Amino acid sequence: MRRLVAISLGVAVLLIAGVPAGADSQTDQGRELFEVHCATCHGEDAKGGDVAPSLVGVGAAMADFQLRTGRMPMADVGVQAVRKPSPFTDEQIRVLVEYVASLGEGPAIPTVNAAAGDVSRGGSIFRTNCAGCHGAAGRGEALSYGRNAPDLYLATPLVLAEAVRTGPSQMPVFDQLTDQDVNDVAAFVMSLQKDPDPGGFGLGRLGPVPEGLVAWLVGLGLLVGAARAIERKSS
Amino acid sequence: MKRRLILGSLALSVVAGAGLTLAYVFAGSNVMQGALLAVALGGIGVAVVVWSFTLSGGETEEARHLPATDDGIEDDLRVRESSEAPSRRTFIGMMAAAITSLVVALAAPFRSLDPGPGPELFHTKWSAGARLVDIDGIPVRAGDIDIGGVVTVFPEGYAGDGQSQSLLLRVDPTVYTPPTGRESWAPGGHLVFSKICTHAGCPIGLYEAADQLLLCPCHQSTFEVLEAARPVFGPAPRSLPQLPIAITQDRWLVAQSDFLEPVGPGFWNRDR
Repeated sequence: MRRLVAISLGVAVLLIAGVPAGADSQTDQGRELFEVHCATCHGEDAKGGDVAPSLVGVGAAMADFQLRTGRMPMADVGVQAVRKPSPFTDEQIRVLVEYVASLGEGPAIPTVNAAAGDVSRGGSIFRTNCAGCHGAAGRGEALSYGRNAPDLYLATPLVLAEAVRTGPSQMPVFDQLTDQDVNDVAAFVMSLQKDPDPGGFGLGRLGPVPEGLVAWLVGLGLLVGAARAIERKSS
Repeated sequence: MKRRLILGSLALSVVAGAGLTLAYVFAGSNVMQGALLAVALGGIGVAVVVWSFTLSGGETEEARHLPATDDGIEDDLRVRESSEAPSRRTFIGMMAAAITSLVVALAAPFRSLDPGPGPELFHTKWSAGARLVDIDGIPVRAGDIDIGGVVTVFPEGYAGDGQSQSLLLRVDPTVYTPPTGRESWAPGGHLVFSKICTHAGCPIGLYEAADQLLLCPCHQSTFEVLEAARPVFGPAPRSLPQLPIAITQDRWLVAQSDFLEPVGPGFWNRDR
């Protein structure tokens, strides 16, 4: 009798362990990951909670943006999610995105090709639509109530296109931009990222005025100090 | 001697004041105007100082003497007045002439004031039926921007016009309750506000879509989009003017009229 129970228990364990493995779909894997990492705030059914919005219908592009930039999972419920290294592998991100996308219809992950973009035209579009918040040099700006528009120096073309199409956090949606417009903007932002800092220190890319100020104060100060040192030595 | 000096410097001041007026009107050199102003003021100054000496009798040493009778003092003053000072009537007349001449000269720059601002501060290029176009002059259709989207718009034919620049925002019409009197201003959740901050006139480029706030980057004035762009933070004194818009049968977004109040920062005759 005891042996029978043990056997049937063993069979049951095998069955329970085996069924998910057998019928495993990516959405299920995604749901598992979701329940472990996301459900605390977004709820078991992803319909949102006290501190987090519903994810039904946000779409694959939004989920991919938030996960790929490490903004989700949030380390702390602050004024806004901040960029950090993602704890997930690319594969885990993919299945999570697939799960969120399965919850409801939303923007799909866009395709973007920065190499096909026109940097000059992208600059013009960027200054019209993006520079208000992200700054003409893409270094980001302060917003209200402690929030900020982040700098774009780590943005990849894909992440950029996802942000343009979905409007994460406080960002508006820029649906009026065509795919080619987004390619151009991506090309421009990539060119911003490659901007060299010949002096070794960009000074927040604030422009020629602070650069001149530093040159005058530091440069002149060093020269005066050197002149004094020479004078002291010779006398 | 003193009499001649007083009347002479006052006369010089009158002439210099008149000369200053002419020099300003005919755009004489700054140096000339400065010299004439110095002479006009200096003439009055010299005359007043010298005249004051005639009253006190100047700095003279007097022998000590017994208190004079009242008659004696009056005699003394009468003698001095007649001999050194101009008659009171002449002095006051000349002084009035010098001061008038100077005041006229100082009032002359009022000629240079520009005419008042006129009607252009009260109106923009928006008019009934004007289509909304973007910075490139391309008209915007209803639905071109998604909920949570933003685009800077101008009246058709005036793309880039600073006074008319406006923000077209699209909010979810199911969560937007229009303020009383503005029920028909925002069809389909398309809201249009003047882009010029009511504080110092900066373009308000920062739209925080999740919280429905518009933020001015210059002094952090913050406007609540869903409450008729009421200022909720910062120095802005007034709400952003809202442009009433409509959707045509061809789905174009058009203005119902111009803004109903002047856009941008206040000016001196704004509320007259």
